[in-house]
Amino acid sequence: MLLSPTQRLLRAFAAWAVVALFVFPIYYWITVAFKVEREIFSLPPKVFQFTPSWKSFEEVFGVSLGFENGLEVIPGGGNFYMTPRLVDSIVVAFFSTILAVAIAVLAAYALSRMRIKGQHHFVFWILSTRMMPPVAVAIPMFFIYKNFGLLDTHIGIILIHALMNMPLAVLLLKSFFDDIPTEIDEAALIDGASRFLIFRKIVLPMAMGGIAATAVLCFIFSWTEFLFVLTLTQTSLKTVPVVSSTFVTSTGTAWGNMAALGTAAMLPAFIFVLLVQKNLVRGLTLGSLKQ
Amino acid sequence: MTSLPLRAPRIFISDRPLPWLIPLIAILVVFALYPFFYNIYLSLHEFVPRKRELIFVGIENWERLFEDSRMWGALWITLLYTGICLAIQLVLGMVIALLIDSDDPGFGILRGLLTLTLVIPPAITGMMFLLMEDAQFGVITYFLQSMGFLTGGSILANNTSALVGVMLADIWQWTPFMVLIFVAGLRALPTDPFESAMIDGASSWQIFRRLTLPMMSKVIAIAVLIRGIDLFRTFDYVYVMTSGGPGTSTYTLSLYAWQQTFSFIKWGYGATISLFALFVILIAANIFVSLTKTRW
Repeated sequence: MLLSPTQRLLRAFAAWAVVALFVFPIYYWITVAFKVEREIFSLPPKVFQFTPSWKSFEEVFGVSLGFENGLEVIPGGGNFYMTPRLVDSIVVAFFSTILAVAIAVLAAYALSRMRIKGQHHFVFWILSTRMMPPVAVAIPMFFIYKNFGLLDTHIGIILIHALMNMPLAVLLLKSFFDDIPTEIDEAALIDGASRFLIFRKIVLPMAMGGIAATAVLCFIFSWTEFLFVLTLTQTSLKTVPVVSSTFVTSTGTAWGNMAALGTAAMLPAFIFVLLVQKNLVRGLTLGSLKQ
Repeated sequence: MTSLPLRAPRIFISDRPLPWLIPLIAILVVFALYPFFYNIYLSLHEFVPRKRELIFVGIENWERLFEDSRMWGALWITLLYTGICLAIQLVLGMVIALLIDSDDPGFGILRGLLTLTLVIPPAITGMMFLLMEDAQFGVITYFLQSMGFLTGGSILANNTSALVGVMLADIWQWTPFMVLIFVAGLRALPTDPFESAMIDGASSWQIFRRLTLPMMSKVIAIAVLIRGIDLFRTFDYVYVMTSGGPGTSTYTLSLYAWQQTFSFIKWGYGATISLFALFVILIAANIFVSLTKTRW
């Protein structure tokens, strides 16, 4: 529809206003990370005017950033020292992503290229694991893990996050493989190349962009997951989303520290999501909608 | 390629899909099917603290489930939450999508900014809104009070408004999900029908109602399916923001199942509730998929 210049200006104004409304909570949360206690609790709430402080970040990461004088940072200690939890988060997200993508890439190739009896039912089975309420997996898994000694271990969380991401990874990768013309495979097959050779030398390199996008999304979903980590870990590891809820104590909530940790958890996800912008809708709809 | 021998071992040139699928099937069996059956096993047992072991109770847990008014309450809250959030996110998502579907300068940045909410851990979103809805110094509370919408009291401490407070977090985080999907759908629409409709002098509303909506039906169906499933499974926000309270006013089915198992040590009963949630969602999703003919 053709809009007059005034209408276009109005539209741009409305669009920016709406987006500002959605960005505001993120902005506000980041300001909380930089506020000292007194300013977090001030009335009316301080939105734009406050004195930035690195104190919360210093406590959470256990390092002195040297911006302020007279501040004591307990090295490797303190109740709010969360660097090891960030490491846990990275380890879990990284390895569960590798596992999920490695398994899914094989299955997705077969689903995209071969005739499989009952393929429709098989795909629906994969899809139905995406529908399961996590709690219906976490409850039995708690007891299964307890029996197998996987409770409270990195490997346990890596496995369950890989499972959680499996429907996404398989269906998304299948949609990327479907984009590559099958004539290429067929020509190579006639020339006597094995399926695996075609997969490794032709299809994989051509689908690299899609595989990277899938990996990024798996990483993000593992990074943000809450219920499995809450249920299946006790003391030896905790990821950032779960540990942030422990800042709520009987003596009050350490909002500054929580916001600092939350900010640190958001930033890598923000960078990642901007990297996969082009394939985001496809990823969010498990490969069924293309941009 | 031509130099490769044609007599490669049969297994490598065959079209047998099984070797490719075995790792996937293995992980699905071990981490989806086995827990499912273990859950059924748990639902037929109950933990007896005095004996410190699981005792077979038959279908007692299932009988209890259907008589448990708190379970039905949790199901009602879950459905209410799912329905209201879904409706708001759909309408808001469509309106914003139509607003920002433009090639004018700056709109690409706007769409990029909207994706940011999607990757925040929901537990942290819960914390953000917990702070913003705080009774004394929350910025949303302050705003509502100064506008005169809220007179004293806190959003989350009140029986009727607590669920709204939680929904606010969900709507904030996931409306952009709808927006992005709808924008992608709008961009994929052919331009011809719209041009001829405009030449015929159709109004904007007629074009939206008669052309855009029907042509977007597949996109909308997929968005509703995915979002509906996730809304029904809601756990993070309520766990972080209200723990189900005040009273039982924000108990979702997932949270109720979790608390029965881990807070009240009713292992079998918690498993039963979680299975019930699983069946409800599978049946509803199946009906939806066959009604809308959604295919993957």
